[in-house]
Amino acid sequence: MNYQPEACVVHVVDDDPGLRRSLRFLLDSVGWTVQLHASAEEFLDVVAAPQTQPRCLLLDIRMPSMSGLELQQVLRGRGIDLPILFMTGHADVSMAVQAMKSGAIDFIEKPFNDQKVLDAVAAAIRQSAEAIDDAGRRHAAGAMLALLSPREQEVARLVAQGQPNKQIAASLNISEKTVHIHRQHVMEKAGVSSAAELARLMLRANPTALD
Amino acid sequence: MKKSFFCSAALFFLIASKAFGSEVAIGVFAYQGEQAAASDWLPVIRYLNQALPDHHFRLDQFDAIGLRQAIAENRVDLVITNPGYYVTMEAEFGISRIATLDTEDSHPARALGSVVLARADQPGLQSLSDLAGKRVAAVAPEAFGGYLVAARELLGQGVDPDSDLGEVRFVGLPMNRIVEAVQRGDVDAGIVRACLPEQMVNQGKILLEDFRVLSGRRDPDLPCALSTRLYPNWPIAVTRQTDPVLAKAVARALLAMPESGGMSWAVPADYQPVHDLFRELRIGPYAYLREITPEGLIRRFWPWLLGFLAILTGWIVHTVRVEHQVHRRTAELRESLAARDQAEAKMRESQEQMEHLSRLSVLGELSGNLAHELNQPLTTIGTYARTVLRRQESGNLTPEAISEASTEIANEAERAGGIVQRIRHFARKRLATREPVSLPEIAEEARRLIVGMLARAPEVAIENRLTSNCQVLADGAQIQQVFLNLIKNAIDANRDLPIERQNLRIVIEPLDNRVAVHVIDQGIGLDAGQLPHLFEPFFTTKPDGLGLGLPICKTIIEAHGGRLWAEPNQDTQGMCFSFSLPCNELPA
Repeated sequence: MNYQPEACVVHVVDDDPGLRRSLRFLLDSVGWTVQLHASAEEFLDVVAAPQTQPRCLLLDIRMPSMSGLELQQVLRGRGIDLPILFMTGHADVSMAVQAMKSGAIDFIEKPFNDQKVLDAVAAAIRQSAEAIDDAGRRHAAGAMLALLSPREQEVARLVAQGQPNKQIAASLNISEKTVHIHRQHVMEKAGVSSAAELARLMLRANPTALD
Repeated sequence: MKKSFFCSAALFFLIASKAFGSEVAIGVFAYQGEQAAASDWLPVIRYLNQALPDHHFRLDQFDAIGLRQAIAENRVDLVITNPGYYVTMEAEFGISRIATLDTEDSHPARALGSVVLARADQPGLQSLSDLAGKRVAAVAPEAFGGYLVAARELLGQGVDPDSDLGEVRFVGLPMNRIVEAVQRGDVDAGIVRACLPEQMVNQGKILLEDFRVLSGRRDPDLPCALSTRLYPNWPIAVTRQTDPVLAKAVARALLAMPESGGMSWAVPADYQPVHDLFRELRIGPYAYLREITPEGLIRRFWPWLLGFLAILTGWIVHTVRVEHQVHRRTAELRESLAARDQAEAKMRESQEQMEHLSRLSVLGELSGNLAHELNQPLTTIGTYARTVLRRQESGNLTPEAISEASTEIANEAERAGGIVQRIRHFARKRLATREPVSLPEIAEEARRLIVGMLARAPEVAIENRLTSNCQVLADGAQIQQVFLNLIKNAIDANRDLPIERQNLRIVIEPLDNRVAVHVIDQGIGLDAGQLPHLFEPFFTTKPDGLGLGLPICKTIIEAHGGRLWAEPNQDTQGMCFSFSLPCNELPA
């Protein structure tokens, strides 16, 4: 799925107004939608969990009041998942390492190369977009599988695991013929034509479905 | 002297009689000629020949030179002469008086004097001192009563007879000629022996009222007009070769001699006054006093010279010693002054260096924040500039974009410049000065500096409770450094606390007649064990601290005559660092 740049939002959180505005000036030039926030708290007020557009966060690691690292923890705690790019001064390497361990995708050292900022933002947006796409597909797969009756779901799991009808019948203690009928219904409802396709769909909806 | 007259036959007899018994020659100074002398001394010769029949006494008459020669050649046994020649011969040949002539109406020790006469119609001549530049008649240069006695008085009155008189006319004997010369006006004054004028008056030769006696005086021992003091009468003396037995016999006989012709003999008088006269006139035995030769001077002044030499030597020794000591002490003093100057310079230098170091160390500690601070504007500027280029390339560089970028770039550049300016101002080396400073203003500057350098500076509230117009003399930069240190310490110590507990208060208030500054935090405070070491060098609680900040602050404050101390807050948490400075009350 492709997204227009305007549809992608880059959030900038930095206590320095000049720097904030310069980043908008830069990101604006390549078409991203830019939202500026003067503090972590201000960002938390407006950020929403549901993710419909690709987005990323350019976050100053060192700020009065709540720091960038603290914000990262808060976001994770609230289940808000968005790619975070930390901006650091040269003396903040240890903080940057900690940030990366906590799941940041990159950090940019000040004073920064604008191309690096643009590349990192683009990568982050792409990741965000992929995440959105993944979530969409999972949702669709789940929705299809939800159409199956409980017995059909049982059969589908065993089919996806690659078991032959005879074995499934024995496992479920039903006739082989009945297994065949369920199998046809499953393939129709899930819109797949092979056991392998069914397995992929089920894994997409639930990565642990076949365990 | 009265004279007796004898016939010349008797004289001849006496002179011829020397062929009998032991011959004793009596040398007489015959100042008035041989005849007069012979008649004068005849009674004495006759008496001696009677009193001492074993001897035959004879009278040998001499002028001054002849008598001297006779004494020198031992041709006389006894000498009768005037006091002046006696003293001279005494000094030269050691003749020794055995008796002094005693004449009528006088005392033997006070018998001879002089009188200086002027005409009564000369009103300008009253005393001997008036004779300067005048013409004076006298008998002879060596005449005792006829010149020397008066000459001494002239000298005593400030008129040197050798140089200050207009003219000295020596007319010789008889002395009557001098009196006559004065009367005629040939000379202004004349010197004659005392009593001569009275004799001339008695003889009807002059009238007393025609004359005036200069510096006239009277003496109970001599009933005559006088211009001078009195001297002893003529002596009779023995020579070194005279037989002592004879000398004794003659002396005894003379003292026993009855008065004859107004003349007798008394015990020898004191001739010291004559010596004094000769010394003052520097003649006779004292003639060497006139010779201004080195030898003469030495002979004359040797006791003085010796004393002077002793004093001079003492003085030189003293001077040299003092000079040496002064020199040594000056050198020592100079050395110690130089050493002190050097030590002071060294101390000042190291103190300046230390202060500078401490400023740099504060700066170093701030540098992390500083880099961040500078990074902000630099990053902003870089971003704007490159974005402008990027937009230009992609063709979406609008005039609004250019103006936004330029404005921001300019602002950020200014901001960066401000930061650099503050650092430079802070780090610059300065010489210590003392000038009136305002502590609240310095506190405010320090606050701005800290807040400007730190990314997340806490709030620093400044409370000025000074009411009086009180002036502190200080080096503003140093006091600012103390403020910076105290503020920075408080911030560093409490960095990990919630922001509201990091806030500081600076209180400036009067304390007695001083000004006290308190930097109060609400932080974690210090252990009781740390408190005593706070101001020791190299004691630090910071992982990267030098431990020099507070010792230097203490040095600075104490150099300003103040005190720096720390105590935990009484009522709340945290510490209070305080310093006090002397202040001068200004007239309202």
